[in-house]
Amino acid sequence: MIEISKMGFQYSGSDRMALRDINLTIQDGEFVGLIGVSGAGKTSLTHTLTGMIPHHYKGDFYGSVRVNGMDTVECRGEDLYRIVGSVFQDIDSQMVASVVEDEILYGLENFGFSREEISERLENVLDTLGIRDLRYRALSSLSGGQKQKVAIAAIVALRPQIIVLDEPTGELDPESSLQIFRLLRQLNKEFGITVLIVEQKIMLLCEYVDRMIVMNEGAIVFDGPARDVVRHTSTFEDIGINVPRVVTLCGQLQKKGLYNGQVPLNVEEGEKMVREVLRGGRHAGI
Amino acid sequence: MGNILEFVPGDSFLHRLNPITKIVLAFLFCICSLLSNNLLIQVGLLAFLMIIAFAAGIGEKAMGLLRTLLFFCILMIILQLIFMRGGVGYLVLPGGFPLVTSDGLYYAALFTLRIINATLPLLMMFAITQMNDLTNAMVNRLHVPYRYMFILTTAFRFIPILAGEFHDIMDAQKARGVEFDTRNIFKKIGLIVPLCVPLLVSSVKKVDSGAVSAQVRGFSLRTRGAGYKAYPFRLGDLLALLLLAAMIVLLVFFG
Ligand SMILES: Nc1ncnc2c1ncn2[C@@H]1O[C@H](COP(=O)(O)OP(=O)(O)OP(=O)(O)O)[C@@H](O)[C@H]1O
Ligand SMILES: [Mg+2]
Repeated sequence: MIEISKMGFQYSGSDRMALRDINLTIQDGEFVGLIGVSGAGKTSLTHTLTGMIPHHYKGDFYGSVRVNGMDTVECRGEDLYRIVGSVFQDIDSQMVASVVEDEILYGLENFGFSREEISERLENVLDTLGIRDLRYRALSSLSGGQKQKVAIAAIVALRPQIIVLDEPTGELDPESSLQIFRLLRQLNKEFGITVLIVEQKIMLLCEYVDRMIVMNEGAIVFDGPARDVVRHTSTFEDIGINVPRVVTLCGQLQKKGLYNGQVPLNVEEGEKMVREVLRGGRHAGI
Repeated sequence: MGNILEFVPGDSFLHRLNPITKIVLAFLFCICSLLSNNLLIQVGLLAFLMIIAFAAGIGEKAMGLLRTLLFFCILMIILQLIFMRGGVGYLVLPGGFPLVTSDGLYYAALFTLRIINATLPLLMMFAITQMNDLTNAMVNRLHVPYRYMFILTTAFRFIPILAGEFHDIMDAQKARGVEFDTRNIFKKIGLIVPLCVPLLVSSVKKVDSGAVSAQVRGFSLRTRGAGYKAYPFRLGDLLALLLLAAMIVLLVFFG
């Protein structure tokens, strides 16, 4: 469980707070999406969960962040890394090896698992992520989507309770992005891993996450089920995040009093909404 | 073209040697080339290297490396030709001044071969050794601190990443109308130097995020025996080392 209370952070040398008054609780097994424009503080927030803020990235830190009851400022980093696994924004620089297999082995070796344990986990994760055929490939020869899967595999192999991913689909095509989300949902449902994903593509978040957090200028603006959050279309516009078109359409229909059902989150639900509105119109004789 | 230090996968005798053996062999070969002043022996050494390269399936890579090295030797070849003035003169200019001499040719060839024979084995070593294996073997077997080996591997790993980054920055500048394909070398340098600052900033960021990523994956917990793969010394290692030791002995007495 993640419990953040009254947390704030200012990078040393910076003249404004990168994170402000963050209060956030994430239960075990949740699938949470984090969205916000560039510079909103998404990456900074993820760094507080591993204690990299304030231990590695120095600055003024306020409030507290607890992971499974451990205070990230006071506890040993090593204890934290066993619980929280991180996939970072920059795919290339986070790789430590030149071959897929070695990349996955890296963390396993570091944490000192036995040889049997390592080989079992390695085989397992290759199947879970469906990357067995990439096992002996050079990382430099992989596509963006494949690399991202390897990066996730290297973390999943460590079997963390929480996985934090910073824009893993940032450089991927739509199909690979979908694959990553499906994979994360599978990890979330099958193994009960808590997933916190930073993502710019709001449609993907709407479709997959249980809970959506919107950040702006270092603070949390909205936090709740995607359906409730996306309703605030005008705030989204002010912040500069594009809302899915079905949601905008729904807002307009509601304003005209033509629709008062639930907010549609994908194309199918949008279609349902439109049909409903048309049927209602016919009844009213329009 | 790819990175000249890039690993070429394979399953040859050389590939399967212990990484430490490979690096020692490369150094022994360098010593061989430095021991001999005989042009024929240098030619023989280069031929031997090439045979090894083709046997290990990195023949093309070795040829490419050879061309690159030759290019770097051009200046030295010219200097040798100008300054070594003994022996028979060829291409005599009016006034009796020979453009090149037999001594000049001989030494130009000798030194070029020597430099190639001393560097090519090391470059070839990288083509058949994965940095990871080298790191693990050095840490497990030779007890080199992991920290230092990690720095070394990271440096190698970042060469292509930074090269790519540099390329991107150049492209971004080209898109803004900066013309890098100018013939004037000074103008070109003048255009490239300002790019070094953004490159430096972004590379520091990348190296830093690499370090953070290693850290959260347990970098500081790693112990000497942490490797999953074992790096035993086998008979093949011994034989290869003996062969090169014998070559050195022969060269000391007869080279
Ligand atoms: N290492 C650092 N030192 C100083 N300031 C930083 C550092 N990293 C981030 N910042 C600042 O903190 C603020 C939040 O940055 P952060 O990287 O968390 O945003 P983000 O939401 O992840 O943005 P993006 O979508 O571009 O990744 C920004 O104003 C940024 O300039
Ligand atoms: Mg970010």
